[in-house]
Amino acid sequence: MAAKAEIAGQAAKTPTDIEHEELISGSEAIAHAVSLADVDVITAYPIRPYDTVMQYVAKMIANGDFDCEFIVAESEHSQFEIVKHASAVGARVFCGSSGVGWMYAFEALTVTPALRIPMVAMVGNRALDDPGAFGVEHNDALAVRDLGWMLIWVDNAQEALDTALIAYRVAENRKVFLPCAICTDGAFLTHSQYSVKVPSKAQVDRFLPPYKRDDLLLHPDNPITIAPQVNEDWVMEIRKQNDEAMKRAKGVIAEAYREFKEVFGRDYTNSMFIEEYMTDDAEIVLLGMGTISMPARVTVRKLREQGKKIGFVRLKWLRPFPTEELRKSLARFKAVGVIDRDYSFGSPSDGGVVFNEVRAALYPLAKRPLMSGFIAGLGGREVTIENITQMVEMLEKSVQIGKAEPETHWIGVRE
Amino acid sequence: MSTISIEVVYRGIFQKSLAKNICRGIVLAARKENKVGTAFGRYGDSPERNGVPAKNFAVVSDTAEELEASLAKYEPNEVDVSIAVDDTLCKGVESWAWYGLQPINKLLKPNGTLLVTANRTPEDLLKHIHKKEYPYNLAIVKGMASFSGLWVYKDDHTDVRILGALLKICPGLVSFKSLEQAILEEWKNELKVTSARKSYESVSVRKVQPTEGSDEVPFEFEKPGWKEMKEGVAIPGIPLGKEYHSEATGQTGGYKPAVNPYYKKYSARTMRPVVLFDKCIKCTLCWLHCPDSCFDVTPDGHYDVRLESCTGCSICADVCPVDGCITMVNEAFFDDNASEYEAWKKDKTTYVASVTEKIKNPQATLRSHGYRHRGQYQEEIAQEKEASHGSKG
Amino acid sequence: MPEPITKDEVAEVRETLQKFVPIKGVRQVPLEEFFTSGHRTCQGCESSVIMKLMVKAAGARTIVLGSTGCMYVANTTYYSTSWVTPWMHTQLGSAGSAAMGTAAGLKALMRKGKIKKEPINVIAFCGDGGGADMGLSAISAALTHRDYNLLILLYDNESYANTDIQVSSLSPWGACTSFSPSGKAKRIMHNRWKKNVVGMLAAGHTECKYLATGNASDAIDLMNKVRKALSIGGPTFIHTLDPCTKGWDYDPMFSHELGKLAIETGIWVQYEVENHKLRMNGISKNIAEGRTPRKPVKEYLLKQGRFNHFIDEDFAYFQKKVDEQWEQWWLPGVIPFAKETEAVKK
Repeated sequence: MAAKAEIAGQAAKTPTDIEHEELISGSEAIAHAVSLADVDVITAYPIRPYDTVMQYVAKMIANGDFDCEFIVAESEHSQFEIVKHASAVGARVFCGSSGVGWMYAFEALTVTPALRIPMVAMVGNRALDDPGAFGVEHNDALAVRDLGWMLIWVDNAQEALDTALIAYRVAENRKVFLPCAICTDGAFLTHSQYSVKVPSKAQVDRFLPPYKRDDLLLHPDNPITIAPQVNEDWVMEIRKQNDEAMKRAKGVIAEAYREFKEVFGRDYTNSMFIEEYMTDDAEIVLLGMGTISMPARVTVRKLREQGKKIGFVRLKWLRPFPTEELRKSLARFKAVGVIDRDYSFGSPSDGGVVFNEVRAALYPLAKRPLMSGFIAGLGGREVTIENITQMVEMLEKSVQIGKAEPETHWIGVRE
Repeated sequence: MSTISIEVVYRGIFQKSLAKNICRGIVLAARKENKVGTAFGRYGDSPERNGVPAKNFAVVSDTAEELEASLAKYEPNEVDVSIAVDDTLCKGVESWAWYGLQPINKLLKPNGTLLVTANRTPEDLLKHIHKKEYPYNLAIVKGMASFSGLWVYKDDHTDVRILGALLKICPGLVSFKSLEQAILEEWKNELKVTSARKSYESVSVRKVQPTEGSDEVPFEFEKPGWKEMKEGVAIPGIPLGKEYHSEATGQTGGYKPAVNPYYKKYSARTMRPVVLFDKCIKCTLCWLHCPDSCFDVTPDGHYDVRLESCTGCSICADVCPVDGCITMVNEAFFDDNASEYEAWKKDKTTYVASVTEKIKNPQATLRSHGYRHRGQYQEEIAQEKEASHGSKG
Repeated sequence: MPEPITKDEVAEVRETLQKFVPIKGVRQVPLEEFFTSGHRTCQGCESSVIMKLMVKAAGARTIVLGSTGCMYVANTTYYSTSWVTPWMHTQLGSAGSAAMGTAAGLKALMRKGKIKKEPINVIAFCGDGGGADMGLSAISAALTHRDYNLLILLYDNESYANTDIQVSSLSPWGACTSFSPSGKAKRIMHNRWKKNVVGMLAAGHTECKYLATGNASDAIDLMNKVRKALSIGGPTFIHTLDPCTKGWDYDPMFSHELGKLAIETGIWVQYEVENHKLRMNGISKNIAEGRTPRKPVKEYLLKQGRFNHFIDEDFAYFQKKVDEQWEQWWLPGVIPFAKETEAVKK
């Protein structure tokens, strides 16, 4: 213990044997979860804003509060490749990145789901270069949406911690064995502290079974060959296996939330894939991911004071996509506005990624709401109450005239 | 209104340029008659490996619409002519791209033609060509298989000789005039036209009945579905080997590795190592330096070539310090992959007699297998010319 | 609370090392094959001999990681493999990362008691493209992590042989490749001299205890180098020169001979750097000590189709560069710092 005290001002502050409350950021919350999950190998490489999680991890290791192999790689590509291989020999792993760092690792990101590596990664969402920008934009994480990564956006530090534990449980379930990225908005979540309940190690041990690769384990006791080169005779079957795993993930996620409530007492079972806010009697709702929920909820409350029947739906899991949940939820509204903190140049209706995905999900419905897309908050620009009020007004107008036109609006951009 | 499909089965790399030249020549000649065509290699064969059988195709149609049925495909469903540019391919081909051994005549249509470059008789070739359920033709272009490498092409006119013969056996393809024009445009060499014409005039063809050919059942592999396949792109590794058990002596000992059961590789072989075990000093070098680990260690410390795994690279013969212990002999002189060691142990006199006969046959040991030194191909071509003149005289 | 990490990390590394048992002559070469028949390589593929010798020396308790290249694509074509040891693909530039990830995973699991503590060798291989081009940065990083036991083996067939023989930074000067063909306007398209990989890595990675060059033509030497690399502790590196029948364009029968000739001409230098001590091996040692004269490089170059376009001045240039490496380098064949006074004299 003497050695620990010598590290100036950074004495261990984390009693892990009892549940307790701490004032921590989203990054720090995930670092706690990683430590509680007894992760074996972690790789880091600096890039804002996700790197804060690695700073906390490094501090915990330096203080002797956490035992893992912590490797500072020489690039994001290596960062993700190292943990991929550590996972193959049975180690629980953690990794993460932001913006162009995530894109630098892209090759490694593509191979991870196909190899059925249950890596958990944190994406501190950040605009892509050029121009270099530190603020939040979701295009980094969205780039892997077709590849077999499970993707969840969280909006507060407590949810970040809880989701990290859920992510390990889901990813490492043999029915799934897919990587999971926890997406956290740069600055608003990665760098902002909040009161968070940190669970005890015993609780986490109860919730999280050990990671077992069984017959897929790379070890001299189980001499297998992993990822030989394939030709056209095999690729479709391998893709089909991944597709089925992703389909199974939904059930495993639901089960994990139910178990989570049992062990930790926090109940997400009514908001597993989407979280609805003041939607019971709503006529117009907005939908968005991540911390955009904050100004959205404030605006909803404000407009409700004016007698407007407005609500908000937060989309949490983008992959697996909650098709049924969204159909059930959104079909009942007159108009739905999707806020995208991303862009997809030249896409249908020149809309954002989430807008087009949600709209596609609703297509088979007999009764569909009017739908508009709002591109907002790019590069970390604040999305204000005024912005959101403007979106609502546009939706109201489309309800009046019976059609959404134009379908996509850029909100908060200087003309 | 017609489409003619032709395949060239060749040895990877060694005959890559040759196969490409043949298929291009076909399509270029067809263009002279306003036909349309496509020439392509089997994508799955790429990246080619030296010696490993590969395929190139040429498809010629009267119209672009007809040709479309042959496009965006890896290979035609059936072919009018199969061309084997090395007669040892008649034993069947196991490509880089698929699983199992394919008979050389697999894609051939009824009454189609298998064209082989060989110095052997049709009857001799039919000992190794698998039986076909319907009749077809077997044509021979006399000559030794032409081998060169990636950077230096051995221009011994094999390409145009094949093209000349092809016109004879497939008269509907193009006129000789069109081929002549194509050759002159592509190679700007009158002598190549002469070679093509000679071959056109001299190619021999004979009918093959369903009763003729080898009875061997080629090994196959049935591909499992996605539910049966292990997830995570994982497959079981190869188990450890066992001691060698000799049927002939009843002895057990040494080492016999387990091998990949799904890819045997022997169809890559044009020459096989023949061992005179009495000369062997058990120095281990053949075993140690074999890239394909195909030497089993026998209970008495000899090294027995596992011929199903041997590609015939000849490194063993090169590293062997004893003169005449390992000799490379043309594959055409053998009918099976039976163990040499077992045959020797069973009956030494018969084995040695049979082996010695082959070793002494210059045709059996003649080697032309790629670049050895600068100027070699010119020397070889001169020698071949001399030999063919000699035989005529 | 987890125990604070106060253990001697170096001791921890040593606990999971295999002991060095030298192979003294061909009679002691293990009979077992861990890389066996049925791979889809070329006839006479010298790199597959390297694979075979590498795992033969390492033994059954080994995990092999293979980065993209011939030794990936040709050795493992789905549903079939030639590996007896556990084997896993890694991306083209990831040999260093794969080795590190595997070693780190095993180390963490053993330390935490999640798996049995025992020596398990970790070997990652890469080709010249994966090693000296794309993967150089990750290899460099791996060689600085002294607490991971791993070996990175670069099998160098002097081109991107798996993708159709394109030039790499280890292709020899002047060689024909599909990205450097010899043409009418440019006889020599590839005018860069081959990188000196082991010299560069040895000079720049002071914690790395073992680096060596190797060649399949000296099989026993190579196997002992693999064993040394796996028993010395920490990250280690071996670079082998593998004649490639396809890309170099020669009769596959001569794979072994060409490897040897590369050494005899002084183009390839056999040496090891063990605990910072440089030792020349085999024929290279004889050349370095003046007991064996170097053969002219022309003997080597004339036997390969990739140099078929060379004219006298090309042979002369090649010879001059090889001469320099032996006569002017401070450590002949190893480190390209010229001895100033000597150089001036010449």
